[in-house]
Amino acid sequence: MALTGRAALLAVAGALIVLAAPAPAVAFWLVVSVIAAAIVIDLVLAGSVRALRFERSDDLRVRLGETAEVTLLVANPGGRRVHGLLRDAWPPSTRPGPREHDVDIPAGERRRVTTTLRPLRRGDFTAAGVTVRALGPLGVAARQGSHQVDGRIRVLPPFLSRRHLPAKLARLRAIDGLNPVQIRGQGTEFDSLREYVVGDDVRSIDWRATARRADVVVRTWRPERDRRVLIVLDTGRTSAGRVGVDPSSGDPSGWPRLDWGMDAALLLAALCARAGDRVDFLAYDRTVRAQVTGGGRGDLLPGLVTAMAPLEPELVEADAHGMVAAVLARVRRRSLVVVLTDLNATALDEGLLPLLPQLASRHLVLLAAVADPRVAALAAGRDGADEVFDAAAAERQRVERRQVTARLRRHGAEVVDALPEDLASALADAYLNLKAAGRL
Amino acid sequence: MTSVTPTITERWRSWRGVLGALGLIVIVAALVVLGSGARNGGPLDIEATSPQGARALAELLRGQGVEVNQVTTFDDAVEQAPGSLLVVARPEFLADDAALAELAGRAGARLLIGPTEPVLTALAPGVTIRTASPETVREPGCALKAAVLAGDAFLGGPSFADATCYGAKVAVAGDVTLVGSGTFMTNGKLAENGNAALAMNLAGTHQRVTWFAPRFPLGVPEGGQKSIDELMPANVGWFVWALIVAVLLTALWRGRRLGPVVEERLPVVVRAAETVEGRGRLYRARAARDRAALALREAALARLTPRLGLTATAGTDEIVTAVAARTGQDGGQVRQVLFGDTPAGDAALVALARDLDMIERQVRES
Repeated sequence: MALTGRAALLAVAGALIVLAAPAPAVAFWLVVSVIAAAIVIDLVLAGSVRALRFERSDDLRVRLGETAEVTLLVANPGGRRVHGLLRDAWPPSTRPGPREHDVDIPAGERRRVTTTLRPLRRGDFTAAGVTVRALGPLGVAARQGSHQVDGRIRVLPPFLSRRHLPAKLARLRAIDGLNPVQIRGQGTEFDSLREYVVGDDVRSIDWRATARRADVVVRTWRPERDRRVLIVLDTGRTSAGRVGVDPSSGDPSGWPRLDWGMDAALLLAALCARAGDRVDFLAYDRTVRAQVTGGGRGDLLPGLVTAMAPLEPELVEADAHGMVAAVLARVRRRSLVVVLTDLNATALDEGLLPLLPQLASRHLVLLAAVADPRVAALAAGRDGADEVFDAAAAERQRVERRQVTARLRRHGAEVVDALPEDLASALADAYLNLKAAGRL
Repeated sequence: MTSVTPTITERWRSWRGVLGALGLIVIVAALVVLGSGARNGGPLDIEATSPQGARALAELLRGQGVEVNQVTTFDDAVEQAPGSLLVVARPEFLADDAALAELAGRAGARLLIGPTEPVLTALAPGVTIRTASPETVREPGCALKAAVLAGDAFLGGPSFADATCYGAKVAVAGDVTLVGSGTFMTNGKLAENGNAALAMNLAGTHQRVTWFAPRFPLGVPEGGQKSIDELMPANVGWFVWALIVAVLLTALWRGRRLGPVVEERLPVVVRAAETVEGRGRLYRARAARDRAALALREAALARLTPRLGLTATAGTDEIVTAVAARTGQDGGQVRQVLFGDTPAGDAALVALARDLDMIERQVRES
């Protein structure tokens, strides 16, 4: 049960009556019994909350930064009207609104209640429960009860870097065979023979084929296709560190490295799919957290965002041995292995670095990491000894980062180290450069 | 979809254990308190077993065959007083002059302990009191048989005119006995010196003792000073009760949530730069100017050498010469900045950082 403001108001009015009454004791007990009677009448005559039936729309998917509307169908099979408040509770991170709805459901009818969710975080969220407060006819007291109504919303990574996609695709086309000039070069493979048309490069005439046929025939070339790309996302402890500014909410505490990595991975995957390469995805810390294998071109991105959505940074040291073993087990052909991790000197020294030759001998390895703009800001501090000490610490970290980058390059890995907003673009460029150079 | 609000039956089922345990605790506590026999009461209450009580004396008197009855109201005292020794144990609670006069009319022998002015006027007319003095062990110092037999006793309070025993703290006038204070009769003091004997001698003179020890003030003094309760109209009390009901209902109204609090597993929030800041604080805490200077110099050199067209393996002299040539600064000074000593103080460290910045800027802009 629940009381309303009217009950309290009634009691205050009753107190004033008691103050003025000639027989205060009688008045007091009269007031108390009137209030008690009103409460009992309301509780007895209020519509039944327990009998209500609920139906919810299907599970929702929404990109981070967008709003979702969840609808709840409330049926009142009881004999009395249910009039009062309804709260469809969701976790606070989804910012449900409005907090409570006014509902008025006559007996035997149904009503639709819509709650708007504006999620703050990526991930899966489940509905917490529906609570209804059914007021009695006097509006003094209400019946209240909760129901568990299953419902789920999956908040997907926002893929903010998709704004870079047109520019990168234009670059890809420049490398690609759609370009009018078809010259044999690095990173191309034989495509087909066709008849010569005016304007074709005479150097591409295939004389042997021309001799066999009446026409002049040229060879056409196209960039390498059907290469394999494996994107490995490190979900270990280093991926929890927050960097930059959260682009979806503007939160200055930053976005986890993991989310920046996902953004970059999505752009890369979209680009690879358009370039005709096969993309596999693996999220790993001490075990496989998520994987997408050999998705077709159409359903690659939906599959990827769905696999990425529930990933959270695990507060454990990533197991590089396990990761390398997982990579080697998944791809046998020579592939481009993109590892999205952090250039943390100690973590890499004990983890990936000793295993890099083993991996680099079979595959082309590309490490991508988010640089922290805050470290650059600290390194520039010169006001007073405190800031200079911080600057020295920042410089020390940048030196270590440079050294570990140099060691990685010596071991044959490509390294992309960029500020959070530039990582996706830089990683896509690195991929396009490799493709143009025919190194895939 | 299921209702998660428990029914009344389910509520009873989940709460009955707790309620049962609470009931058991209350019952056991009540039994323990009742069984221990400890009684609280005011000073000189013959039921009280506390050090201020007088139960020990009452038991001693009963052991001698004296019947001891405690009364707490004037009506009982007036009824019981005739034919017995009236002991007025809490005179400070007796302020009703009319009732005192009635009692004086009915009572025979009386023992007044630490009497106040109204009690003295009513029950021992003619006796006047003088200045009070602190309680201490006093000698009898008189020929009163009860005092001589008892010896030293713990007495104090007001002195009585024309009295000699115990420094004028005990006076006997006919069948009226006056005692300055009653501490020597309490459970705590009874065993010391001649306290018990004196108390027995004074209180055990009759076969029956009416022990008048009210627990709260009886009556109001003449002059009509009414208490605040009597001055207020009855409405106010009931109004306060009605307000309490209103506050209770308001609390129930505001305190009821629409559904339970929703809990959620939140992610860790840790800034990636925290390790760098932590290392900076460590440098600061240990005043590690050597390490700080080394880090700043290394970083500056790493940026300078490519700009100067030198390799990473370039020697000290080579770098100093190249920088001096590009910036036009004195070679010794450049060497001091790039490869010099550890800064002596914090100010020197800041200056070093600024000098390194300046060299870098000059090299960049030249």
